[in-house]
Amino acid sequence: MKLKPATLRTFTTLHSWVGMLAGFALFVAFYAGAITVFHHSLQPWASPQLAATASLDDAQQLLDQVLARHPEAREHLGMTFPGYELAEPTAYWQNAQGVWQFATPRHLAASPTPPGASLPELVNELHYTLGLPLVGSWLMGLVSLLYGVALVSGLVIHLPRLFKDLFALRPGRNLKRFWQDAHNVIGVLSLPFHIMFAVTGALLCLLFVLMLALSPLVHDGKLMEASAAAMDTAPIVQKADVSRPLSPLASWHARAIAVAAEHGVADFVPGYLKLAHAGDAHAVVEITGTSPRGLGAGAVALNATSGAVLATQLPGSRDANHAVLSAVYALHFGDYGNVAVRWLYFLLGLGGAFLFYSGNLLWIESRRKRRQAEQGRSSIVMARATVGVCLGVCVAISAAFVAAQLLPALGWRVDAGERWICFGSWALCVAWAAWRAPLRAARELLWLAAIVTALVPLAHGFVTGWWFWRSAAAGHGALLAIDLGALALAAGFASLARAASRRSRHDDGNSVWADQAR
Amino acid sequence: MLFVTNAQRHRAQGALLQGIVLMWARASAGVLPGFFLAAALVGLVSWLLPGTWESTIMVGLLAFFPLWIGIACAALRFPSGGRAWLCLGIAAVAGLSLLRLLQASGWVG
Repeated sequence: MKLKPATLRTFTTLHSWVGMLAGFALFVAFYAGAITVFHHSLQPWASPQLAATASLDDAQQLLDQVLARHPEAREHLGMTFPGYELAEPTAYWQNAQGVWQFATPRHLAASPTPPGASLPELVNELHYTLGLPLVGSWLMGLVSLLYGVALVSGLVIHLPRLFKDLFALRPGRNLKRFWQDAHNVIGVLSLPFHIMFAVTGALLCLLFVLMLALSPLVHDGKLMEASAAAMDTAPIVQKADVSRPLSPLASWHARAIAVAAEHGVADFVPGYLKLAHAGDAHAVVEITGTSPRGLGAGAVALNATSGAVLATQLPGSRDANHAVLSAVYALHFGDYGNVAVRWLYFLLGLGGAFLFYSGNLLWIESRRKRRQAEQGRSSIVMARATVGVCLGVCVAISAAFVAAQLLPALGWRVDAGERWICFGSWALCVAWAAWRAPLRAARELLWLAAIVTALVPLAHGFVTGWWFWRSAAAGHGALLAIDLGALALAAGFASLARAASRRSRHDDGNSVWADQAR
Repeated sequence: MLFVTNAQRHRAQGALLQGIVLMWARASAGVLPGFFLAAALVGLVSWLLPGTWESTIMVGLLAFFPLWIGIACAALRFPSGGRAWLCLGIAAVAGLSLLRLLQASGWVG
């Protein structure tokens, strides 16, 4: 395809601008996101003491206790079934001040902290807010939009050579060409995955803001009102003001499975429920669950006293709104199919992180001044920031993993301690990169990342006794995979560190990566 | 190209600056009037499709961002920033007015 040189130039400038504005945030989102794909498996890894089992009877007791102790929970209450997020069921509701409260069978008193390990939550927070409170998720929504612009502009720039260069990866003396080839091939081959993330990421972060904006503009101000029916399964029911006891939780569970089977979903697994107006004759319960062969969750809404079916939204028979919304969630989180899908997401996530890292390196390379030792100010700042922020977050996340194992053993508070160690080590890495010559900082931070990441399985084995061989022998595939994955990442960081050392030995002239560059 | 005179360097920097100004002039048209144009298109399709507009809420929200990004990028193909603002602005006002007219007259629902 032929494009005018002026158009190509404009899109190249645009690609650089959006890449610079969003590249760092996207690196963090993809690296942390690749790990978050396994956040279910991280639970037992980070808190083995929670690996208790629970039954529907335990869930019933939890429900009865919470409703008896906390009147606010009778209006609206959510509860996970045993084995959904955690082995134990968890009940959650908002208190009179609107603050979410949590309770489990072993901690019936309301607590503002969700149960379970804090490590998966920390990595997930880095993924969708960069760890920034309040505005973080909106910021990541904007970053997703810039990411979409970067995808379009990158594709346009590369379009003239798209097919010719698709499988070209030219190692050799021209390192820039090699990096450019790698950037292009990963970008093109994982393009569908990236388009999906740009769109679903923007939607998940900005859905509410977008609805507020579009409602008066195109929907005559009626969108917010109509959105409840588009997103929830249970209809909004007024209270009858006649008190009536709830039917047993196990009967809702069984009824949901039976109703799903009637709708052709043979292997429905209830995940969580939402209960409204508990104690009233018009109490409503909505049971959401997944089926191994369906894309996205489905839900069944019942009258919680009589068990009569009020509404269903199940794979194969749901309306367009529910089909779209559950597909958006399922595609973004990768919770469909089997474990192979999650490994694919993990690898593509790391590939995405590479895309943003190599993008920054290419930007620096295109501003390189070969004939003078002095390099541009912006290039050096970019090199320092790329090394500090990107390699720093790799160190920080691995440090948080090590902390998750060591802090409880030392008797310290895990959730706050993990945060301090994660953000503290990240800040130190950024400061280190700001102080050292960029190539030296890169080499040192890569070695540091390799060492800290290699400590992850060691800390796990040392503190819990679940060494590789014991996990393997007991058939705990998730524990084994996390430990082996950390070792593989450590090996990856080490080989990158060696590549950086080679580059400093075979110095090919003036650049920000010269050993003495300041 | 071994010897670059100061005049050449200034010309090159001037051209670069001009390119950046031109890019932002057009990109801002894609972002601002482009937002309203994308909203109008989503609204028109959502309200004109058979069935109620409520049944296409999520599809419309999902389509909005790719549409907006597409318009923002396409705006860079206008010859000037002014032209981009004018064309996209007129298209957005026309689209939103048409939608309002259809809704007010009760032809769509």
